[in-house]
Amino acid sequence: MFSEQAAPTAQGLLAPPSAEPPTFPRVSVSGYSDCSQPFQLGERSFSRQYAHIYAVRLAGMRPGLERRARSRWGNDIVLRKLSELQAGEKCCVVGTLFKAMQLQPSILQEISEEHNLVPQPPLPKYIQPSDELILEDELQRIKLEGAIDVQRLVTGTILAVYGSEQDDGRFLVEDHCFADLPPPLPWKGPCSDRFVLLTSGLGLGSVSGEALLSTQLLVDVVTGQLGAEGEQSCAAHIARVILAGNLLSQNTQSRDTINKAKYLTKKTQAASVEAVKMLDEILLQLCTSVPVDVMPGEFDPTNYTLPQQPLHRCMLPLASAYTTLHLVTNPYQADLDGVRFLGTSGQNVSDIFKYSSMDNYLEILEWTLLAGHISPTAPDTLGCYPFYKSDPFILTECPHVYFCGNAPRFQSKLLQGEEGQRVLLLTVPDFSTTQTACLVNLRDLTCQPITFSGFGAEDED
Amino acid sequence: RPPGRLKDKKDKKDKDKVQVKVRDCPRVPAQPPPDPALLEMLRRFDLSWEYGPCTGITRLQRWERAQELGLSPPGPIRDALLEHRDNPDVTYRWVWDGWAW
Repeated sequence: MFSEQAAPTAQGLLAPPSAEPPTFPRVSVSGYSDCSQPFQLGERSFSRQYAHIYAVRLAGMRPGLERRARSRWGNDIVLRKLSELQAGEKCCVVGTLFKAMQLQPSILQEISEEHNLVPQPPLPKYIQPSDELILEDELQRIKLEGAIDVQRLVTGTILAVYGSEQDDGRFLVEDHCFADLPPPLPWKGPCSDRFVLLTSGLGLGSVSGEALLSTQLLVDVVTGQLGAEGEQSCAAHIARVILAGNLLSQNTQSRDTINKAKYLTKKTQAASVEAVKMLDEILLQLCTSVPVDVMPGEFDPTNYTLPQQPLHRCMLPLASAYTTLHLVTNPYQADLDGVRFLGTSGQNVSDIFKYSSMDNYLEILEWTLLAGHISPTAPDTLGCYPFYKSDPFILTECPHVYFCGNAPRFQSKLLQGEEGQRVLLLTVPDFSTTQTACLVNLRDLTCQPITFSGFGAEDED
Repeated sequence: RPPGRLKDKKDKKDKDKVQVKVRDCPRVPAQPPPDPALLEMLRRFDLSWEYGPCTGITRLQRWERAQELGLSPPGPIRDALLEHRDNPDVTYRWVWDGWAW
């Protein structure tokens, strides 16, 4: 793997330095193209309702789902709209799922004076046994029951159900299916080993500076300033670094200044200013040596709704002088040397985690790929821009590497599809808590974690 | 000053604006006002559910979206929309009491 890349004749640290210090040129990624145009918003207008995005999502995914339904349940099945249902007739319906959840935070309930409620504290999961699934299409909605896992599914998924309408007005589901893996992309990967380093959740600006040593170690390894010639020759094989969100810590989001009086807070600076300066210095060190893609995350100074727009380059004056710095959107899609990367900073996965019984981030990531949509819960529980023309989160092509940032731990899986799709599913762990980053080999889509730890407080126990 | 009075002033201003818009239309040169049959056809296009929601976007945007999704919206509607491009009654959806939402 990565450590096998070490040049065999390289000397270790315990030998005197060689007379001619060798230089290790970094491998260059020959083809890079940014494919995130659908996620870049030009002029933004928020005077639209969200009905449009749901309508185009259903209209866009309906043909694919009808094809999948036919191939799964036979060519002669009857496809009906909800308004055409006849009681007792076995048919297939394509629609959007809505999960009615009792515990789902509702702004209307909170501000309703007759209830006089305190706002509900945030819970880790909002699922309850009494949740119900409702299928909606363009005109009507119907309650679902039967062979469908209510706890597992989330609002906003487009699916096809096969069953019949009962006399009490509910739809009895015998089987259901999702859009499944999108069509594969041709493989044009490199023949030699090339690594991409993925990390997320640097968490700069937090109260404790424990992760700073690990971050500096990461930067030193990537720029080749750590270790003997063996490690340096390994690091030369890292072609790119992707920072998948949450560069700033959650602590920088404190809003104490809003509640305090103006005269007390006039001279205080927002915590994020200092953190962004630190980020700039770290990025400067990285950019002098390797191309870096910076994706914004939940706590970063950019817009809140998905798709998050790139950080503005005026916040990073030192690092933006280098062309190796690429400020990109969240979600991010790019072609690196023929390998298609698609990933987010983790907000989509953590939102599904809150509203579904699925516990494993990798399982949720795989499920979003099989459901054909990056973030089905947007705009219901996750903020989303009111698109009207098309839904850019629908997966039209199967990426080669599909990642999500800010996961609790490192997990990876190579998924093989029926039509020849090969996807590396990767959950990039939060660096500030785990001090672990991921290395992906572009040649064979293998992946390994790399941990940087220094001597911290826990070693003194 | 009680906040209520300010609100009334704003409403009146909006109402004045809308009336001014209507008064302005005949001053625009060329183009005779579209006939009621055309407006009726456009209204039916707005209310047909196959092409998705009609609020918040212009009729031309809705037509083009329906075209891209393969729903084959009728061609004459697009021609009419392009012909009367500068008439707000034609480009935006049928409005109710002056609210263009």
